[in-house]
Amino acid sequence: MRPEAATNPMTVSESNLSEMETGDIATISRARSGDADAFRLLVERHSRAIFRVAHRMTGNEHDADDVVQETFLRAYRQIDKFEERANFSTWIHRIAINCSLDLLRARVRHDKHHAGGIEDEEMSRTLQTNDPQPDRLMLSAELQKHVIAAMELLSGNERTAFVLRHYEGMPVEEIGRTLGIQVNAAKHTIFRAVKKLRESLQPFVRSTQCNI
Amino acid sequence: MQHLTEEELVSHYYHDSDAPGAPEHLGTCAECRSQYDTIRGVLALVNEAPVPERSAEYGEQVWNRLRWKLGSERRRRRGWQSIAAIAAMLAVAFFAGQLWRARRETTPTIAGLQTGVTAVAQKPAADAQNRILLVVLSDHLDTSERVLIEFVNSNPNRPALLEDQQKRAGELVSANRLYRATAAEQGDDRVTDFLSDLEPVLIEIANAGPQASAEKIGQLQKRIESKGLLFKVRVLSAHVTGAERSPAPIDSDTL
Repeated sequence: MRPEAATNPMTVSESNLSEMETGDIATISRARSGDADAFRLLVERHSRAIFRVAHRMTGNEHDADDVVQETFLRAYRQIDKFEERANFSTWIHRIAINCSLDLLRARVRHDKHHAGGIEDEEMSRTLQTNDPQPDRLMLSAELQKHVIAAMELLSGNERTAFVLRHYEGMPVEEIGRTLGIQVNAAKHTIFRAVKKLRESLQPFVRSTQCNI
Repeated sequence: MQHLTEEELVSHYYHDSDAPGAPEHLGTCAECRSQYDTIRGVLALVNEAPVPERSAEYGEQVWNRLRWKLGSERRRRRGWQSIAAIAAMLAVAFFAGQLWRARRETTPTIAGLQTGVTAVAQKPAADAQNRILLVVLSDHLDTSERVLIEFVNSNPNRPALLEDQQKRAGELVSANRLYRATAAEQGDDRVTDFLSDLEPVLIEIANAGPQASAEKIGQLQKRIESKGLLFKVRVLSAHVTGAERSPAPIDSDTL
């Protein structure tokens, strides 16, 4: 009845990460003692995974690249604080999430100063998503565009809470701590995100089911 | 049992604190089951959201961009370590001086010897002080260069992404004032002039804010380039680094 755990991408990536983690322990030790080559190995090992999280958080390739850079820069500055018993992948993901949040908050501040433009943009996105024409869609590419548009309709907090719960599998309590809000508020934020996604994407679920 | 709310259905999907009897209700209520299937379908669609793939070389590309930034970080750390070591040396010199003074007061017969020792002790202390200034100035120039490069290469249409540079520029302004005043006091016109040129630019970057127009940012970028600030900071930085290794007055003919 419930979705299988394997449908959550985080579950799949976690098994790969645990293998990665085994190789990380010695490397982290060397990086902490100032070995630049060791830090380079960590960057090369984790960059692609961090990019994926950053892209889901920011929804933008350029921003995701910036987040990856900033994440490793912060990690380098804070590597003395990293406890070797901890999981490096979890630690670096948490830094990436914070960097993405900083960027999203900066974007919100910027958007407030350009409210007119954003409203127009949002309006055009809404019009796009309200005009699904399911029978004319090329399922894969067109559908992906609509999923992207639907994700862009989420507010910064909604997107973050949703990404952390849906893709990263983070518990609601931790999402609340990350966003600095109460657990119930975090839960409600996730719900609002799902509701918005449902409103935008429900027609495609039906069309997909019909096509199948 | 009443029908499940949409929020309860979402909670059920994510295995978050199910409403009592929710699984059983879903097994028997066609309406709720249909709602739940829709949510599940929507969330399955969301999993299809594409994430651009990065090649296997991506990690190496990230490292190449990151490497020089980390070089500056290491330099900064070394700078602070040098300052700490020099501060410790000065403290030792200070206490040694105090000890000598106390001895001189109790044994006036070695006064002549003391004069010579004090003169010898003062020279390393002055050199050490000079070295501290060079280390902090070098670090300041290095950070300023980084901020200027990042600002000049940034996209004027994305002012929200300039926040980090703006913050760092703001932090550099007060330090810049201090070093400019010190350089002026020491009669180092070349350093004073450069820091005087740099200061208004740092202030403008810091004050640009996320609401700055692309035009304003573009103008500031052009001004930095037309003033040759990046070239000047590199040349001065090279001089300071050289002087840092063997402290001597900075050659003032290049800028």
